[in-house]
Parts: sequence; structure tokens; C-alpha cells
Amino acid sequence: MPGWDWNAFGRYLISGYLLEGAWTTIWLSVVVMVLGLLLGLVAAIMNMSKSPVLQGIAKFYLWIMRGTPLLVQLIIIYTGLPQIGIRLNVVQSALLGLSLNEGAYLSEIIRAGILSVPKGQFDAARALGMDSSTLMRVIVLPQAARVMIPPLGNNFNGLLKTTSITSVISMEELLRRGQMLIQVEFRVLEIFVVAALYYLVMITLWGMVQRRLEAHYGRSVAPATTTERRSTVAPDSGNGEGAATAVERREMEHDLR
Amino acid sequence: MREPVKQTPGTDPTQPVVEAEDVHKYFGSLHVLRGVGMEVQRGEVIVLIGPSGSGKSTLLRCLNHLEKLDRGRILVNGHPMGYREVNGRRVELREREVAKQRRDVGMVFQQFNLFPHLTALENITAGPIHVLQRKKEEAEAQARQLLEMVGLPFKAHAYPAQLSGGQQQRIAIARALAMNPTLMLFDEPTSALDPEMITEVLDVMLKLSDQGMTMIVVTHEMGFAKAAADRIIFMDEGRLVEEAPATQFFANPRHERTRQFLSKILH
Ligand SMILES: Nc1ncnc2c1ncn2[C@@H]1O[C@H](COP(=O)(O)OP(=O)(O)O)[C@@H](O)[C@H]1O
Ligand SMILES: [Mg+2]
Repeated sequence: MPGWDWNAFGRYLISGYLLEGAWTTIWLSVVVMVLGLLLGLVAAIMNMSKSPVLQGIAKFYLWIMRGTPLLVQLIIIYTGLPQIGIRLNVVQSALLGLSLNEGAYLSEIIRAGILSVPKGQFDAARALGMDSSTLMRVIVLPQAARVMIPPLGNNFNGLLKTTSITSVISMEELLRRGQMLIQVEFRVLEIFVVAALYYLVMITLWGMVQRRLEAHYGRSVAPATTTERRSTVAPDSGNGEGAATAVERREMEHDLR
Repeated sequence: MREPVKQTPGTDPTQPVVEAEDVHKYFGSLHVLRGVGMEVQRGEVIVLIGPSGSGKSTLLRCLNHLEKLDRGRILVNGHPMGYREVNGRRVELREREVAKQRRDVGMVFQQFNLFPHLTALENITAGPIHVLQRKKEEAEAQARQLLEMVGLPFKAHAYPAQLSGGQQQRIAIARALAMNPTLMLFDEPTSALDPEMITEVLDVMLKLSDQGMTMIVVTHEMGFAKAAADRIIFMDEGRLVEEAPATQFFANPRHERTRQFLSKILH
């Protein structure tokens, strides 16, 4: 079936089947991001705790998640675990695998964000009688946000694309839907170009959202005064372009340590 | 104006606000506090002086348990700070309980440490709202009184970065006062300020001492010490070397170290 078929391309472009796949990609990314942030926050706090046990658990988690490919993690969860009696369906496996993986990377961003808040802020909050959770919620995380939002945004950008890996465990997100459509329609190029366009649209829209978020969180925190010197733990990696590749975001993560 | 200095219910006014006994503190192998003992009565203003590195900040930070003690004990309003005593042994309190104890002790830092993402008003209401669970309107009403008291009624909505150092420090004092503490700790509150801003901060502190606030102030502002201090304590190498009422302290220092130190800071 040689040649480019504009008609087919047009049909795929508005195909409900592919759009559903794109929607799955979006909600999967959002849910994973939320779960990943929670996991990442817990891991970051454990990693910074004085207890060697908590610290050990956090470090072990990061070591496993960042030391093995996501693909392997997903296959172990979906295909391997049933062998020992743990049966998760496709959606559960995808959510678990992606969230665990994402949480590990996000925890390093969160940790760098928390470390960027000057020690005097912790002292002042404690001196007012705040306990750790209040201190984090009211004082530290809002200040850390300014440092964290750009890399977190880039991470979400990467995540939108990374979800395509779950196609290997037959999660019906955009890529998988594309593959399935090809099996009936045999129009590889048209279908994959449509899928690629969908990804581009999602990434571009996210880039716009990200720029707004960065503007918002950069707003109230006026420039550091002479007495609020900030350490430079986290590089200001956000250019708002929202076009970092998965490799770039992994590398950026590396710099954060 | 502020309500009169609060008294912890059930404690008699003769109960010392601070009782420290044989306080020791190490940073690694560095022995920073070497057996500090002191007693501060309600309404007293103590000025703590001493060379850099003598342990003044560390002592203040032990008083509200920002630092743990290695030996000895500190009672604030009769309660062991940060610890509970079980069969004569001390057990460190859980974090939440320490946090509760700290409500009674206000602290003002050399570097102000205002929360940069919050306005002046929000800095002052942060404690009452998030620690004391006060209603927002109530906390703001009190915060406005405090802004008035520190002379910054028109800066409620300014962010710290928009304020001068002296203004920031006055907001920091208001922030600490918003918790209605029984004790205020000041760690070199004017050392980071340009000279022309020092007086505006000291004036607020004088006002506070006139209102009967119990205060421990680390400062080298001897003018303030003469005007406000009930006692001056000289600290050196982790020990309280000498203490005396202000007049006597300057006129007639007993120890050689004190004399040397005074000759350095008085000129
Ligand atoms: N967190 C810390 N870790 C290690 N050493 C410290 C720490 N804080 C203070 N020190 C050391 O303890 C000594 C006393 O410090 P400090 O209490 O700040 O003195 P001062 O306030 O009188 O200048 C100094 O030698 C200082 O370097
Ligand atoms: Mg000091």
C-alpha cells in the first residue's frame, strides 16, 4: 500500500478511537504525576530524616527505581508478580509502575527544592511553634515551589511521552491505540504521524500551562534580599520551553544531586 | 495596644521564667556550652554579651530547644524544655510536644528570617492561624495592633523584600509577639542593620521591656543595655563569667576578661 493517503490521514486525525487513546495518555500522566508527587515527597522527607532506617529505605527505593529500566519494572509488575500470586490488571500495573518510577525522580527534585530553602526559615517556623508538617506546608514547600516548578514541569512533559511505554503491557493509551489501529488498517505512516501530532499538541499545551505556573510561583516571592541568601542546590533548569526529552530530564535529575 | 504580658495559667508570678542548670552542649568534639546556669525572673530584661563564638546564640537556641542539650536542664515557666523527666531520667519529648512548648518563647534572629513568600501581615498571622488555629479575622486584627505597635501600620501588605532591614526586623518582632510569648529571645537583633536603622528596632525593644516583657537579649548595643537591662551577663568560652546590674557592670567589672571585652566594644 504505497504512497501517502491524505484521506486516511484526515480520518485518523479525527478518529474517536485515537482520541480516546490520547485522553488515556492524559489522565494516566496526571494521576501518575499526583501519585508520584506524594511518593516523592514522602521519599524526599525520609531521605532527609535523621533516622538511618528511614533514610535507608528511601535510598534503597531510589536505587532500585533509578537503577532499572521502567520497561523492566512494568513487566515485572504486570507479568512477573502473578507468579507469586499478586495479580494486578493493566491499569493498576501501569499506575503502580509509572508512579513508583516517577516518585523516585520527583523525590530528588523535591529534595533539592527543600534544601534550597535557607535554614533560618526552618528556625523561624520552629520558633513560632510549628510542627514539621505545618512547617513544610506553610513555610517550606511554598518557597521550594519556585525552585521546583520548572523541573517538575519538565518532568511532566517527559511523563506524557513516557506513558507510551505502558503499551508493552497493553495499556490502551495513545501509542497502543495507534498500534491496534494499524493492525486493522495497515496505514503505519499516517497513523503514527497522527499519534505524533497528538503528542505534539499535548506537549505544546502543557508548555503553555507550565509558563503560567512559573510566572505565578515566581510572582509573590520577590527577589532574594541580602538577608535571604539562597543556596544554589537546584539549577534553574526551567526555560519554560517544555521540550526536554526523557534523556534530558534524566540528565537534569543527575545534576540535581 | 497589646494585652499585658501573659502569665501561664496556674503558675505563680514568682515562678522564674527560665531556670537553667549545668547546661552543656557539644558540636561534635567542640564543647560550646560548659556548664551554664541562670535564672530569669518574670519581667526581667537580661542582656547577654560576650565575644564571637562564646556560645551566646547556642545558649539562646537551647532555651527554645532549637538545639538539644547534652547535659543539664532548662526549665521554662517551670517545665523542662524539650524533655520530660521519667524516674529522674530525661526523655526527649516528641516533636509535636516540643512545638507546643515553643509557643511560649518568641525568638528574633540576627538575619530576621521573615518568610519571604508572605506579606508582613501574613508573617505575623502565620503563627496564630497555623499554630494556634485562630480565626483569620481575629489573627489579622491582632496583627494590625502589632503593626501599629512596631510603627509599621501601613506596611501590612508589603513583602519582606520590599522592606528595609529595620522594618523587617520590626515585623519579625511583631511576628514573635503574635504568639503572646512569656519570654522573648533576641539574638543580635541589630547586628545586621545599617546604623541608621538600629534605633528604630531598639525603640521597639525598649517599649516591650517597659510593658514588662521578660527578655534575654544578645547585643552589643550598650546604650540599650544601660537603658533596659536589669542584669548584664558576660559570657566567654561557654561559661557565664560575670553578671551584674547594668551600672555596676560597666563601672566596676570584676574579671579581667570582662574588662578586656568591654574596652573593645565601648570604643
Ligand atoms: N550548628 C553548629 N555546628 C557546629 N558548630 C557550631 C554550630 N553552631 C555554632 N557552632 C560553634 O559553636 C561555637 C559557639 O557558637 P555561637 O553560639 O554561635 O557563638 P556566639 O553566638 O557567641 O558568637 C562557635 O565556635 C561556633 O562555630
Ligand atoms: Mg551569635
